[in-house]
Amino acid sequence: MRIFKNSIIIIICLFFLAFGLSCKSSGPEGYTPYKIGVNLELTGPYANITKTLVMAMEMEVERINEMGGINGHPLELVIEDNGFDLAKVSANMLKFTRDKNILAVVGPFEDNFQATTRDIAEKEQITNIVVCPSNPRVRDLNQKYAFNIAHSDILVSEKLVDLCLARGYKKILVFPGNWPLAMSLAQNFKRLAAGKRIQAIISEETHKPSDIDMTPQLIKMKPVIESENIDAFYASTGGPPGPIICKNMRTLGIKTPILGTHAFGFGFIIGIGGDAVEGVEFPTGKPVVPYQLDENDPIRKTIIDFHERMLVKYKQGAEQISGHGYDIIWLIHDAIKRSKKPVTRSDFRDAFESTKDFKGCTGIYNFSPSDHDGLTKKDMVFVRIQDRKFNRIKLPEFE
Amino acid sequence: MPFEIFVQLAISGLTTGAIYSLIALGFITIYRASNILNLAQGEFVMLGALCAVFFIEKLGFSYFPAAVTSIFLVSMAGLFLQRAVIHPIRDEPVLILIMVTIGLSIFMSGSAGILFGPSPRSLPPFIDAPSFEIFNSVRINTQSFFVIGATLLLVIILYMVSRYTFIGKAMEAVSTDRLGSDLTGIPGNFIVMLSFGISAGIGAIAGIFITPLFFTQYNSGAILGLKGFSAAVIGGWGKYSGAVLGGLILGVVESVSVGFIPAGYKDAIAFIVLLLILYFKPKGILGSRALEESRK
Repeated sequence: MRIFKNSIIIIICLFFLAFGLSCKSSGPEGYTPYKIGVNLELTGPYANITKTLVMAMEMEVERINEMGGINGHPLELVIEDNGFDLAKVSANMLKFTRDKNILAVVGPFEDNFQATTRDIAEKEQITNIVVCPSNPRVRDLNQKYAFNIAHSDILVSEKLVDLCLARGYKKILVFPGNWPLAMSLAQNFKRLAAGKRIQAIISEETHKPSDIDMTPQLIKMKPVIESENIDAFYASTGGPPGPIICKNMRTLGIKTPILGTHAFGFGFIIGIGGDAVEGVEFPTGKPVVPYQLDENDPIRKTIIDFHERMLVKYKQGAEQISGHGYDIIWLIHDAIKRSKKPVTRSDFRDAFESTKDFKGCTGIYNFSPSDHDGLTKKDMVFVRIQDRKFNRIKLPEFE
Repeated sequence: MPFEIFVQLAISGLTTGAIYSLIALGFITIYRASNILNLAQGEFVMLGALCAVFFIEKLGFSYFPAAVTSIFLVSMAGLFLQRAVIHPIRDEPVLILIMVTIGLSIFMSGSAGILFGPSPRSLPPFIDAPSFEIFNSVRINTQSFFVIGATLLLVIILYMVSRYTFIGKAMEAVSTDRLGSDLTGIPGNFIVMLSFGISAGIGAIAGIFITPLFFTQYNSGAILGLKGFSAAVIGGWGKYSGAVLGGLILGVVESVSVGFIPAGYKDAIAFIVLLLILYFKPKGILGSRALEESRK
């Protein structure tokens, strides 16, 4: 009886072993997926942004796979939530680096977290694709494995200086947020503006991303605006503080024109700001105004096509963040296609770095060993909020 | 600091302070009936605002019906959460109940994120009037009057209810001596549940009044709750008048401090004031009978 029982167990084990092996070798070698790790803050303060990013990436991966994958290989995203926690960010990154099937890692979003993953990426030699890096100290490291998918703070500042030149502003008061991106935008703007004989005064007053009322700071800045004959007020910020600053300024009767960052190019800014954000001007990504782009704009077709597919699938059109999602997936697709076969992490990195004239939603990417940002200020447009809509403005000689 | 700037800062602080007071009133209402510190109070504020936004934007309600429906629904949510979560563990130590309210707060903000989406939202002002000027160059937002008015009206109503109505006295009795109140026939469980409903309703009112000035997001409850709690402690824990006074002091100190130091230290100043007041007046400015009794 015992022999019979043991035989049954052995047969069952052999069956499962054989089944397991057959599963592993069921498809041809060419169908193993190309895996990309995604290490994002899916919960926490950036949940809104990262959700949009993932939605866009998933839609594009689905599309690529429906089209037959990349040379027959499906593309697969391995998504991990880092919960806005540095320990989890590092753990996810290490987990991805140890999985030899992962070709590259996307994320995280938060600037301080990026410094950590970029460092791990250098040591483990895996490509780390990040969105909106802004920490100048990290950028100056010129890391080999980190690539940026967004307009850098320097590009935004360059474009904003152009806006000031076009409008004839000579003296700007800057009200910066106290986080790295907002500070970096303010400092870069001041530096670049000085080169064009525009005086930018960065206020000692700052604000936090969680501030719900900036009236006290603005009350203190109001006499400066009046006594220094300030031509325009630059809200170097992102997220809800942007429209709140506009509301507070208008309540205090400050009528100075307001300039914003590219982060003003999101629908909720108009929702919160209402009438107070009318007239705010800022440089931003092209997905903010898809149908207002020139007919001959090289990326107009890409953006409109993506915008319409987003509307069908998610009932929300394209914007800057989802545009970054599109760019990430199709840049990966492009790099894998050009990479040596079989694709290794090192070959993928080299192919990614040699990306040339890639038409994405954010702009035309040209990476090189000395440029891992890939975009130029031509990839941005000027926008003015008018009648509760984003309206593209064309400024001769500057666009 | 010039006088106009001081007055402008103080007035701005009064508005912010009135907001803190409104939230503090919700804390006190539950505490007076059940001795529970409900750390999910800020979430009722967020929920009230987001429900109103939903009714106006998605269901096409006009402002007033949207506000009333939202206050009613959030009050019901308060009743339900007390019955479903707090009631079954009512005999556990108060510390456990407080920990449970932290869990409730996380649950509510997460659920709001799923239900209403993570984007920040705002409501239009109650009346479409711009800000106006007083004292030569001091400007006030019209909505600020509604916030300050609502705070004063609510504190008067809550005071009258607690002093002159059966429900108010029953709430006081249940929190003071549960056994004694049970023996006199007061339905203790119902009274505690009711206090959660009223407190949730106050939170929703606060949310609807303040959102036109600022914005609300699924995760904005925590910071509002923290400031409201600080206000209640500064004024005198357990007192409606203390909640209002504490809120106004906190708001004005925060705002006026910006006149002397960079705004980055605004929160630090608020909490230094809290520490100083608690050092010299440990039971808050107006004193706290609740704290005195708990130390006996």
